[in-house]
Amino acid sequence: MHVIASEWLKVRSVRSSHLILILSLGAILLGVGLAWMASGMYDSAPPAQQSRARLAKLEEVLIVVPQLCLGVLGVLAITSEYATGTIRASLTVVPRRWPVLTAKATVVGALGLLTGATTVFGTYFLCRWVVGDRFAGVYTAPFLDKLPTLITTGLSVAVFALLGLGLGVILRSTAGAITILVGLVYVIPMIVGNLPEPWSELLGSVMIGSLPRQITGDDLTYTVYGSLLAPAAAATALTAYALLPVLAGAWLLRRRDA
Amino acid sequence: MRAALSSEWLKLRSVTSTFHAIGAAALMLALGLVWTFYAGELADERESIGTAAPEQGLLPLVQMSLAVIGVLAITSEHTTGTIRASLTAVPRRGALLLAKAGVVGAVTFVAAHTIILITYGVCRLIAGDRQLGFNEISFSHDLPMLLTSGLSVTVLALVGLGLGFVTRSTAGAIVSVVSLLFVLPAAATYLPPSWNTRVAAYMLPNLVPQIADQQLSRRVGDGLLFPWVALTVLLGYAVAALTIGFFMLRRRDA
Amino acid sequence: MIELRQLTKHYGVTLAVDDLTFTVTPGHVTGFLGPNGSGKSTAMRLILGLDAPDSGEALVNGRPYTSLSLPMRQVGALLDANAVHGGRSAYHHLLCLARTNDLGPRRVTEVLEQVGLAGAARRRVRGFSLGMKQRLGIAAALLGDPGVLMFDEPVNGLDPGGVRWIRDLMRTLAAEGRTILLSSHLMSEMALTADRIVIVGRGRLIADTTVDALTASHPTLEDAYMALTASSAQFEASP
Repeated sequence: MHVIASEWLKVRSVRSSHLILILSLGAILLGVGLAWMASGMYDSAPPAQQSRARLAKLEEVLIVVPQLCLGVLGVLAITSEYATGTIRASLTVVPRRWPVLTAKATVVGALGLLTGATTVFGTYFLCRWVVGDRFAGVYTAPFLDKLPTLITTGLSVAVFALLGLGLGVILRSTAGAITILVGLVYVIPMIVGNLPEPWSELLGSVMIGSLPRQITGDDLTYTVYGSLLAPAAAATALTAYALLPVLAGAWLLRRRDA
Repeated sequence: MRAALSSEWLKLRSVTSTFHAIGAAALMLALGLVWTFYAGELADERESIGTAAPEQGLLPLVQMSLAVIGVLAITSEHTTGTIRASLTAVPRRGALLLAKAGVVGAVTFVAAHTIILITYGVCRLIAGDRQLGFNEISFSHDLPMLLTSGLSVTVLALVGLGLGFVTRSTAGAIVSVVSLLFVLPAAATYLPPSWNTRVAAYMLPNLVPQIADQQLSRRVGDGLLFPWVALTVLLGYAVAALTIGFFMLRRRDA
Repeated sequence: MIELRQLTKHYGVTLAVDDLTFTVTPGHVTGFLGPNGSGKSTAMRLILGLDAPDSGEALVNGRPYTSLSLPMRQVGALLDANAVHGGRSAYHHLLCLARTNDLGPRRVTEVLEQVGLAGAARRRVRGFSLGMKQRLGIAAALLGDPGVLMFDEPVNGLDPGGVRWIRDLMRTLAAEGRTILLSSHLMSEMALTADRIVIVGRGRLIADTTVDALTASHPTLEDAYMALTASSAQFEASP
């Protein structure tokens, strides 16, 4: 328990964490701004255009901001220790290496969960309030119908945080870990989207960005992603993204010299 | 200046991260091969198919990997503290920044064009006379797009360098580059109509087809900018980032 | 020759260097003493133009450091031995610095031999001990064969042989007519190495005198130092 408290203090006491969290929550403001701007344009448009006007589900679109931010927070949670050399002090104070990583994962995961939930629900409720019944009722569906998607979308932020932490432990380099994280989130899906079928659909179904909405069975037709996985399989895949890198990192951490 | 350039060149080639980044970018060739082989097989079954050109589909890989070279050229000096030795050896800060920009620009320019042109050539060779959707067009018609793609990589690396001077943090600079390359362009498409096209036209990755005078994308349609305007905007990104970087470097204590 | 004139520097609300004026003259080793956080390192950074002073000026050979065209040929400095890229070899680290001032690889090899790192020249700095990094930092300072040298805590992490080597090196360099500014917390070592002493506390000048004058009025240099800085220690264990 005191190891967790120590890791929490480490995250809380550096300026980069504050910046990252502020940026993540900035997504809410961005979402509300977009919703407000779009609603204004909707109101001034003629009825014929209004009936054709569409608005994206902003809480799902803007989740990329906290996802990326918390992913970076996860990376920095460990690579900053390697960059500054404090890792040696950390492993001296807590010589068994599992507890250090478990504590880091707990803190980073919990922060991801909290930030993800705050951003998703914050954006959703504020946008729902701003948009009302405009845009063919994109925000009029009952809250309970939306709840599963909101939960899995929020959860995905915690997955990114753990994924970042895992990559950081494996690579021990800020630049390397963030670049690979970005590769997984942006570069590979863009490449996959350009592939000929059936590979585009097949690989698109295991891309991390597609999983939250496959778990709840949402429509992914107009995205670069595929939707071949059953909800249970998608949930397993999402868990694997979160846990496999951390576990691989834990194994490496035990084997390597600090 | 020559002395500062030769020092920066040595700095870049004496660390392994540079080679890791170039290696990651060179994955374009390997993936392009797989891509073309597979598309070729499909085409043999179905006579003709339409796929994107590998050097276009895989461009983000090269852009991202080589932009990291620009970022690390300065942020690694801040993480390790060598920036103080560098500024003691070259006290004129503008000279240090220009030397870094020159070397990063040249290295990424050569690396990007080499990787892109080799991928282009090898993939066309493998494709042969099958109809894959990307190999029916003549080289002279593709050339502007190829050169612009390579140039965009250099611009991103210089933007990364400039933002590295501003943020002094590897994470901060890489995230800023990612925002310019992926997040903002994606966000722009969700703006209400007419705004989405107008904003998207100025987004860094969207400038590439506009400079080469090709269709921007199915989603945002044709570009809005004349090729030379788009080229100016693209170069403007690099100049702006480096200028801000220079003022921050000059103002702040090392 | 290093001249500080009414040098003042704030970091936020902290006054790091406060109206500091003194001159370091050639031909002898000047010891630069003061408690932790007294402004020694800040003063050195100000001399090198790394940080900009709020007021006052620091001159090296009569000119501001940032106006020198090939600065390493006039001034050499070791600020922080750990400030090296771990992935670079010692040889490349020095060659990167040498090239900026038109110095060749032959000079790099020379200084590596002079500091006793010739055998480790091609090894990555990541694996160096603190003592080896100190030697590498000293090699970097000596690269341009400068007339003015500054060393911030160079004996940290050195073994007894290394400590003696530094002492002899400092005295030799001074005897060659160079200006040497050397900071250290080891008073006994300083008493053996330095001729002149500058003591600062809370950013202000406390003493600018000779070792002989201090040891004439106190039993040892350490006693003199403790007496002079008694009121200005910033971080002190409670008795």
